Amino acid sequence: MPGVFKRAGLLVLCLYAGAALADERLEARRHFRNGMSLIAQGQFDKGIAELQEAYAIKPHPNVLFNIARAYMDAGRAGEALEWYRRYLAANPPDAETVRATIARLETTVGTDASATPAEPAPAPSQPKVLAADAQALAALVERLEKAIARAESLPVTQGTTDLPATALGPSLPSGQPLVVAAPEEDVGAVPYEERVVTASRRAQSSLEAPNATTVITAEDIRLSGASSLVELLRRVPGADVMMMGVGSANFSLRGFNQRIANKVLVLVDGRPEYQDFLGMTIWSSPPLGLEEIERIEVIRGPGSALYGANAMLGVVNIITRAPGVGKRQIHARSGGGNTVAGSFVSYGAASALRYRLSVGYGQMDKWSLDYEADRPDIVVRGPSTQLGYQGARGNLSTEISFAPGIEMAVSTGVHRFSSEFYPLGLLRNFYLDGLTAYGKADVSLGALKLKTFWNHLGGNAGPQYEPIGQRSLATHVSSHIFNGEALFSKSFELAGEHLVNVGVEGRLKRVGWTYILGVKEEFHAAAFVQDEWRPIEPLRLVASYRMDRHPLLDGGKPGLAHSPRLSAIYIPLEGHAFRVSGASAFREPTFLESYMHLLVPAAGVPGASALTLGSQTLKPEQLVAFELGYRGEAPTLGIDWDVALYQNTVTNLIGLSAVQRLPAGESFHEESGTYLVGRSFFQNERDTYTSRGVELGASLAPIDGLGIKLSAAFQDVTSEGEEEQCGPCRQAAGIKLFGGVTYRTRADLEFGVDAAFTSGTTWIEREPAETDPTSIALIPYQLGGYTVLNARVGYEIIKDRLTAAVVGSNLGPAHSQHPFGNRVQRRIYATLTVTP
Amino acid sequence: MTRTLRSQGRLLTGLTLATLLTLGCEPPEVVSTQDRQQRTRAARIEGNVIVQGSARGNAVVFLYAAERPPPPQGSGRPVAFALIPKEELFGSDLDTKSTGPFAAPFTFPLVSPGRYLLRGFIDVDTCRAGKEPCHGPDFIPWFNVTAEPNVGDVPGAAVDPQTLAPRVVEVREGEDGTPLPVLGVSVSFSEAAALRADRPSFVVEGATPIELNGGVKTFKLRAAPMPDVNLTAPVFLVRFMDEDRDGAPDDTNKDGIPELWPRVVIRKLANGGGIAEENDLDNNGQLDAKGVEYTPQVGTSDGEPDLVVLAAGLVPTTFLPELIDSSTGQPRMDAVIPASELTVAVRPSAINARDPSNPVTLAGLPAGRYAVIVIQSTGQVWRVPNELSPELPDLGLPKVESQGFSLQVPSSP
Repeated sequence: MPGVFKRAGLLVLCLYAGAALADERLEARRHFRNGMSLIAQGQFDKGIAELQEAYAIKPHPNVLFNIARAYMDAGRAGEALEWYRRYLAANPPDAETVRATIARLETTVGTDASATPAEPAPAPSQPKVLAADAQALAALVERLEKAIARAESLPVTQGTTDLPATALGPSLPSGQPLVVAAPEEDVGAVPYEERVVTASRRAQSSLEAPNATTVITAEDIRLSGASSLVELLRRVPGADVMMMGVGSANFSLRGFNQRIANKVLVLVDGRPEYQDFLGMTIWSSPPLGLEEIERIEVIRGPGSALYGANAMLGVVNIITRAPGVGKRQIHARSGGGNTVAGSFVSYGAASALRYRLSVGYGQMDKWSLDYEADRPDIVVRGPSTQLGYQGARGNLSTEISFAPGIEMAVSTGVHRFSSEFYPLGLLRNFYLDGLTAYGKADVSLGALKLKTFWNHLGGNAGPQYEPIGQRSLATHVSSHIFNGEALFSKSFELAGEHLVNVGVEGRLKRVGWTYILGVKEEFHAAAFVQDEWRPIEPLRLVASYRMDRHPLLDGGKPGLAHSPRLSAIYIPLEGHAFRVSGASAFREPTFLESYMHLLVPAAGVPGASALTLGSQTLKPEQLVAFELGYRGEAPTLGIDWDVALYQNTVTNLIGLSAVQRLPAGESFHEESGTYLVGRSFFQNERDTYTSRGVELGASLAPIDGLGIKLSAAFQDVTSEGEEEQCGPCRQAAGIKLFGGVTYRTRADLEFGVDAAFTSGTTWIEREPAETDPTSIALIPYQLGGYTVLNARVGYEIIKDRLTAAVVGSNLGPAHSQHPFGNRVQRRIYATLTVTP
Repeated sequence: MTRTLRSQGRLLTGLTLATLLTLGCEPPEVVSTQDRQQRTRAARIEGNVIVQGSARGNAVVFLYAAERPPPPQGSGRPVAFALIPKEELFGSDLDTKSTGPFAAPFTFPLVSPGRYLLRGFIDVDTCRAGKEPCHGPDFIPWFNVTAEPNVGDVPGAAVDPQTLAPRVVEVREGEDGTPLPVLGVSVSFSEAAALRADRPSFVVEGATPIELNGGVKTFKLRAAPMPDVNLTAPVFLVRFMDEDRDGAPDDTNKDGIPELWPRVVIRKLANGGGIAEENDLDNNGQLDAKGVEYTPQVGTSDGEPDLVVLAAGLVPTTFLPELIDSSTGQPRMDAVIPASELTVAVRPSAINARDPSNPVTLAGLPAGRYAVIVIQSTGQVWRVPNELSPELPDLGLPKVESQGFSLQVPSSP
């Protein structure tokens, strides 16, 4: 018992240890709002202290302005001057006006503009502001208030600034140097409002996003201790994360998860990671370490109106840290499951050139093995019998500014890795031993942006376990995607303010794969337009339309897919936005679905195979979605919340047909020397599936150091049609809950724990019939509900230099997230982060 | 407080380093998923096919459960089959007259513990032998009418090299329960054993409905070529049956009439059309776990699906004079009479033959359609109705009106 008290006492001691940071943005915003409120009440010193606290937590240039303005209101021109200088050093858009103000203030307080700011002078009893200054300030105040009222409407200029503290005057009270460094999307006019770029392909407030949006920040990622990208997505309300193995996962939103989940578009800095040949995201393949991620934006709801095919149920956009702005870091991880991982990330700048360079290596064992290594009936294939992931990666991202508004960004990365994935139908877990690479170049010419990228994935793949004596399905695949895109933005006034984005895109896909009988090429083209119209305050209307040309959509000939979206956002009160949205989206047939020609051996019958065929006359999967949403915030309490009600209607779902007998004359396959049980082919189902649900999410930072994230999602999928066993209905978890708590002392300790619950499901999967392996049966598999529990304790050994942490992953009961998936096991890791 | 935190920090650091050094050395454990194959303990049977002779064609090897042997010993169907392409088997001698021997490996994967028989045949490509008319490989496992060897095909089996009796291959379990693979099994084919007769394809003539009180009825089976499935010279091979190998004709029903090959079975078909037999809807040769059962004449039903056949047999009168040595009056056990016509007699009595060693007479005569099945002593089988029936959906096989026939048993009033 004394030991228990001792440990409890230690915990209390740790929790009580000074100020803390859990959710930086929410905490900073709480301080900011409280400060502004105090200033409005005339409590200038307390208010300014709150603003400075906000700035210390998360620097934002507009906070500097507000501090300066507060000093002006308090009649302390000297201090106001100092803070205006700091604001000016952040290179604000209104720099000219501020310079004029500073000049007048310098005259007023009688200081030399080139001199280092002196210690703040005692507050004079009466404000001494010149009329001209007051006029200028009034203009500034008006601009800022307008911005606060409606947030920023125009695209923000790309660029970040890393300013030495000495150039800006004295350090902040906390001792933190003044660093104005943040990616463009984070620097809105309203300090600490959550901003996203994915929902409308431009920076905007989350409040104005036409879809439900979740942002996972770098701080969230760090405090979670997550070892894989997809694990992080459990904190998205309603997210369906299905881990099949340590390197293999399927992700979906609002139902329709499956082996080869194919209805959510995953992007890294706008570049798709969706593998077009297969129709899924291989989550372990991007050449990217978690420490390089600035934030992850998840848009729940259709995104085809902007992103085209495959952004059917949502979009995940992983935004990496901007070149040149971070700290050089070394990360190491080791622990359970033979886990070893390390990475080095470096940032730098030379003149107008900024870069981020990273290299990394990682490996970890599978959670569980399906078969013993020495079974008399099964041979184990692939690069490793035990490792679920192994890879080495490198990444270089650069930006160069030629002139204001004219910039170029070039990045490239490569990842040599081995992992696994789980295909459809009778196939089980496959190894993938290959390489991914990409090259990307973006050019910004003011309102015009030109973007191009190349994606490659190549390697060997095949079943990890095959019966001895059975024809092997090992294969080689090579995929190349070339993409070019032009975007143009323009704002104008016509019965209100309009912001129009237009774009055109072309994409060449080239896939060589034995499963599709050689090399196939497709060329896709698209054009889109979006208008955000503010006819009257507080109403915003967003109309989007995209047209995609796909080479097979018209019964095997080139055809068009149309994706409209119409949204209305109503913001009656500051911080409260109601949205209604209707949209359609589509998923195009993959290369696998269009061209597959694969003989799948009948289990245990070496003379028989089942032929699986693609179809080039498939229609795209179609979605019609409606969403009602409410997003609210109580900044002074440090709370954000979002509620979304949706109805998704999916038609033309693409799936494998039942195995159909072949005519007698086509029964023998000469090349393989086997008799064909029959053929199964990809087809559009006639059923109509409807998914309805509600998603609730909240983020709280009620006190310093404490961050809480809660979400709950309830959904029901129904079908109308012919299928007796509605797979999508029974495979969709009806209830998903998430709760996470982080506590971070400013001194040196961090705690985090999160739990995600997914209710039970029934999976309808294909198996060879028990009595006759040459016939295929649809077997229902029960999967119980499960809870994923993770925790992290971090300790900053040397301030800003060295942090160690112990991470517990899957601390709850062992479980499987799919009937054929690994048994997810508990693992403990240690991590070290060194900032040289 | 700071000191406490620092000391705890050192503790955490130590814990971290300890974790780094000590964790993660154990390999992942084996945990089967719900996938049935992972939960099934199996082994494999490996061996070689060995062919002697100038016949050329793919080798087909069937794996049978020993307790369910194929015709003529039983009615079992293969649990698996393997095909060794002729190119692999004969290599550069594919187009020569070389008699070999030729060998090629085969493997049956995922074989559960048990006892097995291996049979097979060379699906002879007669065109390579320069015959006219000729046909290529014509074995198709999915249809009864194409799943057996034709005339000229070379049957084979795994046999005991000493006794030449069929070899039973047993997949045993080791001490830890792990099935043990069986290696080195030979399946031999000799051209000397090539089939000299086609399967007994036939048409039914003169059949009338069988009624409970209708007395014994007879009808004829006439051998009928089915050239579209390469059956050009079908024939019934009539001979005495001697299953107990006692050198005398069998008389299992003790009616004083010797039993003859071919064996004729009249089996009830599933209701609702088609050619599936009752209680074997998946056509795997085994009774389904659930199905139809009937009241026995004596006692009560056993709760298991029934295999209903009618009491039927060949009328031997025509053949006995040729099968009995007129000089000695002794049966000529080796005599085989090729016949183009058989007479079948059917008593209005139904039997549950679920257990062939203990047939149970049923109380009534289950109404419905019945198939007529002829089983030769060579193991060749023909049944009517079959996949050539015009009533079936298009299977890519020719439609032959006569092959849709089924014997009717009307409902009793």
